[in-house]
Amino acid sequence: MRLPFQIAVRFLKSSKGQTGLIVLGIAVGVSVQIFIGSLIQGLQDSIIYKTTGTSPQINISSTSDDKLLPNYNDIVDKISRLDRRIINLSVTSDGPVLLIKDTNNYSVLVRGMELEKSNKIYNIKNRMYEGKLPKNDYEAIIGKELQEELDAKIGDTLQIIKNSGEVSQLTITGFFNLNVAALNKTWVITTLQTSQKLFSTGDKVTGIEMQVTELFKADEIANRVSSKIPSDLKVENWKAQNEELLSGLNGQSVSSIMIQIFVLIAVALAIASVLAIAVLQKSKQIGILKAMGIIDRTASLILLFQGLLLGIMGSILGVLLGLLLSYIFSKFALTPDGQPIVPLKIEYGFIALSALIALASSTVAAVIPARRSSKLNPIEVIRNA
Amino acid sequence: MPNIITLKNINKVYGTTIKTQVLNNINLSFEEGSFNSIIGASGSGKSTLLNIMGTLDNPTDGEVFIDSKRTDTMNKNELADLRNQTIGFIFQFHYLLPEFTCLENVLMPYQIQSSKLTKDHINRAEELLDLVGLSNVKNNLATNMSGGQQQRTAIARALMNNPKIVLADEPTGNLDSESTENIYQLMRDINKKFNTTFIIITHDKGIAEKADRIVEIIDGKVKMEMELGS
Repeated sequence: MRLPFQIAVRFLKSSKGQTGLIVLGIAVGVSVQIFIGSLIQGLQDSIIYKTTGTSPQINISSTSDDKLLPNYNDIVDKISRLDRRIINLSVTSDGPVLLIKDTNNYSVLVRGMELEKSNKIYNIKNRMYEGKLPKNDYEAIIGKELQEELDAKIGDTLQIIKNSGEVSQLTITGFFNLNVAALNKTWVITTLQTSQKLFSTGDKVTGIEMQVTELFKADEIANRVSSKIPSDLKVENWKAQNEELLSGLNGQSVSSIMIQIFVLIAVALAIASVLAIAVLQKSKQIGILKAMGIIDRTASLILLFQGLLLGIMGSILGVLLGLLLSYIFSKFALTPDGQPIVPLKIEYGFIALSALIALASSTVAAVIPARRSSKLNPIEVIRNA
Repeated sequence: MPNIITLKNINKVYGTTIKTQVLNNINLSFEEGSFNSIIGASGSGKSTLLNIMGTLDNPTDGEVFIDSKRTDTMNKNELADLRNQTIGFIFQFHYLLPEFTCLENVLMPYQIQSSKLTKDHINRAEELLDLVGLSNVKNNLATNMSGGQQQRTAIARALMNNPKIVLADEPTGNLDSESTENIYQLMRDINKKFNTTFIIITHDKGIAEKADRIVEIIDGKVKMEMELGS
């Protein structure tokens, strides 16, 4: 094994230009693979984060007629001890109301939240552009679009009519922007107590919300939750609610894999053709080695080692190049506010896999040239001197 | 002395549609320790004959015995092993591996049979290089040596595994007359010192006549065999 390896090293060293070119070729392939892979993964993560990161990933609601959850503290307690992956558990008390301004009616949703806890899900504090969170009873905040519609200012009073026909007033303490117009237009966020008083629900809530640390296990976690709580409660998870998105992302993943496969094939073909030329270039040497008594297997090992070595060098350089490319991208491809356009996701497992696949394909690409080397008859070389 | 190489009824035909008979019923044997030359015009078949003796080429029919082993029925790996252990080759264009140094080229036949390189073997290679007068350039790459130096390296390499036979195809074909004389003298010395059998194809009448025996091949047949007093 040592001799064919030594010979392979010498052969590669003796034609440095050729070796350098093919190593660069492999490296470009590997780096493109790493870059595209990280880009698509980063893109998907950012899309998923944008869709689900600042909203509950698992919801519990009641299927009873009044849509109310009694004894919610017991349930919350039970869920919080159920699974370590569940985080940011909080309860809400929601109800629809009609908002009246002059002659206009707006159908809005009053959302009573445990603001400190819910903030971890919705990140409301950081998404308020004016005013402060409601603290006292009958205070509320509204979204950007609703503010524009109502031309509201802090301290203004909102007239609302409940389903029962009762009229109440809420004082505006601030404005938020969740970056989703539909929510900004329809949500009126207030404290849990205010909502409970408003709708006279007593010590009951309408929903339990939570997030999970493993986003893609949300369905599995939701099932566990479901099995531990009364059966008249409905458990929903973001995956079930976003099937369209998931299938879209899936399509994107498939196309990214396709690109990577074709890059890989191109790299493998390049290696195979360079090594095929190498066999021709070195046929004299291989012939004389055979005349001196190396067996065919050893002769083919020389080429396999050449493929392997090219793969190793190409992969290492490719990983470095890929990381460099990603770094440059995240430093220079920026949005106006200085954030990367797409936050790349550098996964070491994925990089290692790319390098390994390139390595394996370089070795496989060397098989055909290796067979030619094995079949080379020394007499042809010697006769045609 | 027993025969180290015996050829029985060797025929060699090239081509399938247009057949060219290169060797025609050759019967020839060479004694162990002898120094032989083969002469003949271009295309007479002498190189083919040498290649068949070196097991690089197969006869169309006939039997080849090397060191009393029949070789025309051996498989490729057995032949490779036989070549490595028993035969040293010196070709006209020296065929060194240009990627390796002079010393590494000499060590190559040994490294083919065993990848463990011991001090003893390096010493042997260095002694051989000393013998051919190349100690001072032993670490040069093959491409950084003169033609004569490369040819002497090839001789040292051919001797590395202490083979019983050295086959040389016009070893001095592209060297000047002084180098030719040196190389011939060197081969003769080795022949005497190690009792190595030499079979040398040559155009050079001077060299041919200094052999123990001259075999002339004309049109694929042994035309003349001449024993010369040594």
